[in-house]
Amino acid sequence: MLLLAIATPAAAQTPGETVRFISCPIYRDVDAGRKSGCWLADERESGRRFDIGNAPTKPDWNHEVLVEGRISNAPDSCGGVMLEPVRVSVLPGPCTRQMLPAESFRGRPFELPQRNVRPLSEARPAPQPPFVEKSFYLLYDFNRDFIVYQLDDYLLDQAITYIRGAKPRKVVVTGYAATKPAAVSGQNIAENAGIAKRRAESVTEALVRLGVDSRTIETRWKSGAEPIEAPGADGLAEPSRRRVEIRVIP
Amino acid sequence: MRHRGFILFAVASLAALAGAAAQQQPAASFRNDATWWAPADGKPFPRELDYANAAGVVRTLLKDGPAETLGHAFFSPLGPNGRACITCHQPADAMALSVESVRNRWATQGSADPLFAAVDGSNCPTLRQDERTSHSLLLDHGLIRIERDWPIRDAAGRGVTADFRLEVVRDPYGCNSGEWGPGGKKAKVSVYRRPRPTTNLKYLTAIGFAYDPKDGMPLEIDPETGKPASGNLTADRRVLSLEAQARDAMRTHLGVEGLIGPSIVRQLVDFEMRLSSAQAVDNRAGRLDDGVLGGPGHLEASQPGQLGSIGRAVWSEFEGWEKLPAGARLTPEQRAFRESVARGARVFREKTFLITDSAGINSPIGFGNPVRNSCVFCHNMSQMGNDVAPGQVDLGTTNQPFADPAPHLPLFRITCLAEPHPHYGKVIYTSDPGYALTTGKCADVGKITLQSMRGLAARAPYFSNGSARTLRDVIDFYERRYRIGYTEQEKQDLVNLMSVL
Repeated sequence: MLLLAIATPAAAQTPGETVRFISCPIYRDVDAGRKSGCWLADERESGRRFDIGNAPTKPDWNHEVLVEGRISNAPDSCGGVMLEPVRVSVLPGPCTRQMLPAESFRGRPFELPQRNVRPLSEARPAPQPPFVEKSFYLLYDFNRDFIVYQLDDYLLDQAITYIRGAKPRKVVVTGYAATKPAAVSGQNIAENAGIAKRRAESVTEALVRLGVDSRTIETRWKSGAEPIEAPGADGLAEPSRRRVEIRVIP
Repeated sequence: MRHRGFILFAVASLAALAGAAAQQQPAASFRNDATWWAPADGKPFPRELDYANAAGVVRTLLKDGPAETLGHAFFSPLGPNGRACITCHQPADAMALSVESVRNRWATQGSADPLFAAVDGSNCPTLRQDERTSHSLLLDHGLIRIERDWPIRDAAGRGVTADFRLEVVRDPYGCNSGEWGPGGKKAKVSVYRRPRPTTNLKYLTAIGFAYDPKDGMPLEIDPETGKPASGNLTADRRVLSLEAQARDAMRTHLGVEGLIGPSIVRQLVDFEMRLSSAQAVDNRAGRLDDGVLGGPGHLEASQPGQLGSIGRAVWSEFEGWEKLPAGARLTPEQRAFRESVARGARVFREKTFLITDSAGINSPIGFGNPVRNSCVFCHNMSQMGNDVAPGQVDLGTTNQPFADPAPHLPLFRITCLAEPHPHYGKVIYTSDPGYALTTGKCADVGKITLQSMRGLAARAPYFSNGSARTLRDVIDFYERRYRIGYTEQEKQDLVNLMSVL
């Protein structure tokens, strides 16, 4: 009874609470159609198990993950407390593969995320003037410069659509890195300063591929990023540090 | 105009082949000198061209055909070795090259035929060219030697610094050693690959989305045309446009030196873009447009670049055979085969399995490792089954430990110098680094562009290294690789489906 009493408060879930931890992911093999398997991760410090399957980047069961999310009160369909919004970053640390059977869990059929890029055959609504200075933000996984599928590609598509309408005289691309160390699950983590440059350069290259004149682009990078409000971050402070700003100056 | 002579040949051959399963080795050869298109033989290329194969008849349509071939770049030996594009892109082989055709050519013409040119129709130019063993990769596996620069150069010819070290572990023919090897005067890596079909190219060059999700970037821009590239040409995406592919092929396979005029390139691209090929008749099902949308006509008439999950589901062309009317005038064998094809299409789309440790799928894109999906996860373009996005994926056909043993191929040890490969670690053993020979990235080792899926029955063997002798071998590889759990019936249904594409 004493053990239970001690364990209960630690395992409490508070909707709206944000969590940040490093753990090994667990795959629950629920077959509710394509892309339907459940992804779980245990916060070892508290013993809580979370459903992290709604992250744009899903885990790799061979590697540790950095989980950043907010506890939601959505029903449990996978065997963990749902985090929504949630971001997952795959870290280099190794993990032993763990796959659970479906047991009594039904999982969730895949639903196309709202942030998805439409085919070129579908016309984008043209942005309307007046064109004002405007910033777009791409958000990144920890220590990565990879443009996240069904998140950053959507945000980049919004930026390029605006740029094509505004025909700006200048586009300032600034890469940021979250270089300030933080203790997470017993590990000290910080992004490499160089990732800010790589992020900025890859977005610059992306804009050039999408037809932006390279002479109009100014590329910058900064470390020690602070959190900001950005649509793609969905109110999660830590992921918002890992970003690229595309500032469109008409 | 259809070439009736070939249809007659097909029908006459059927009697000898009654009961022969499409997925088995043919009981008799369908290839002879009458089916072979030699360079500059002068016959016109008709609007509609049929050839028999073990499963039925493959048909190639030439939009706005017929076309004269005399003096045409595709059919002319433009270089000194007597080769033309047509040499390795035969209409009877769905504009690719089957081992059966290669063997027949050897039997009738021997090593003097331009197909066996030392430059790449032999295991290595340094070998005695009059011996069969010197051409064993082409004769036994349908493989052409492909030279890649080492150090690597990109599509624009700029040097690429690789983030891996390449060492030769096994070099059966000497083309990866000494003067010919990566450390030699020629500074090349030799890999051996199947020729890809020069047909249905409006699909392989189509662009559905502006982004390459596997690369996390917008599509690459082709330096020659200045346009975004589909990224679906050649096994290693070393060229980004048909124009560049034509130049590359003329230089490497035909031995053309000096400037290649734009009119030649235009003529080649124009011809290739007008071709549509597919199996049109199946020995057991009958006509493949009978109540369904098989055959090349539908391919030719359809819009390319559509994602099956948004528009027409992949292989839903065969939906009409799912519920055949009880009164349909079909033999029991016909009915059973048609129903099997329709089931195969469903299995292809709907049977999900866990895809694991496959770069291009499980990394770097965030689908997860593992991810549950079906064949159409990658084979997602309507009518064609190629990837709407650039299709470089590592199935493990060339990388150990997933690749089947291949002592006849060279083996390379790749050591990642920066980050380890996401699934193999620091060291990878491979018979073909694939896309990594274009990007210089360790993470791309063994990634091969998805194969074209039409006209399969006409052009065995399969996979880029010819490791699957039959369509059943293809299914068996996937079963081993991903432990899918196909039932025997499902395997047969998939084989039957693929034999009618």
